[in-house]
Amino acid sequence: MLLFRSEETVNRWCAAHNVPRRPLVNLEQLWQLAVRWYANRLSVESRRPPPDEMVSTFKSLGLTGPFWDPKSDQWR
Amino acid sequence: MPKLDLNTQVKLVIYEITAETGSVPTSSEVSCKMNVDESEVLAAFRRLHAKRLLLPEPGDPHRIRMAPPFSGVPTRFPVEANGKHYYANCVWDAYGIAAALHCDAISRASDGHTGEPLTIEVKNGEPIWKSYVAHFAVPAAHWWDDLIFT
Repeated sequence: MLLFRSEETVNRWCAAHNVPRRPLVNLEQLWQLAVRWYANRLSVESRRPPPDEMVSTFKSLGLTGPFWDPKSDQWR
Repeated sequence: MPKLDLNTQVKLVIYEITAETGSVPTSSEVSCKMNVDESEVLAAFRRLHAKRLLLPEPGDPHRIRMAPPFSGVPTRFPVEANGKHYYANCVWDAYGIAAALHCDAISRASDGHTGEPLTIEVKNGEPIWKSYVAHFAVPAAHWWDDLIFT
């Protein structure tokens, strides 16, 4: 995922690359995702969150719907 | 403490070397550090890949392309933290390096379309507020289909 100054440059990038416009995440949400994913990554017990935990994390940050569901088949 | 399984030992050594040096190690470097045969390290790489904890370099299983949040190759998301230089795989992982190392960090990144320099920073455990946004082009169900593109 890429960083953009604004929604306007996202839209220009999507148009230039013929990529569908998908959800935007602000930096506060992104920081919270980084902490949930990686805070214990260098420790013995680190693991990638399982699907249900991923959905719960996304939901707690207001990221809902099939796009954020790792088990969704809507996109296949 | 019970003896750790080889996968966990390899994972910890990968991150230990990366955190210390800024470079994601090869299987040979991990093998030397652990004093175990490189073939065992490569097998652990494969198992960690299956668990989605690392991504080997396509076409070269001796090298690691991604040990999230760290990148084994230069990217458009360089990160400075603890006086060292790292590369993150994406903007999420740029913050992820600060989260993983539990320290302040700064990433001199750029706008994905215009290339304009955009800096993101974590200070005292909090991100410095900017109105920038991240665009997630790939649905969560497909992030690992082509992780390099994601």
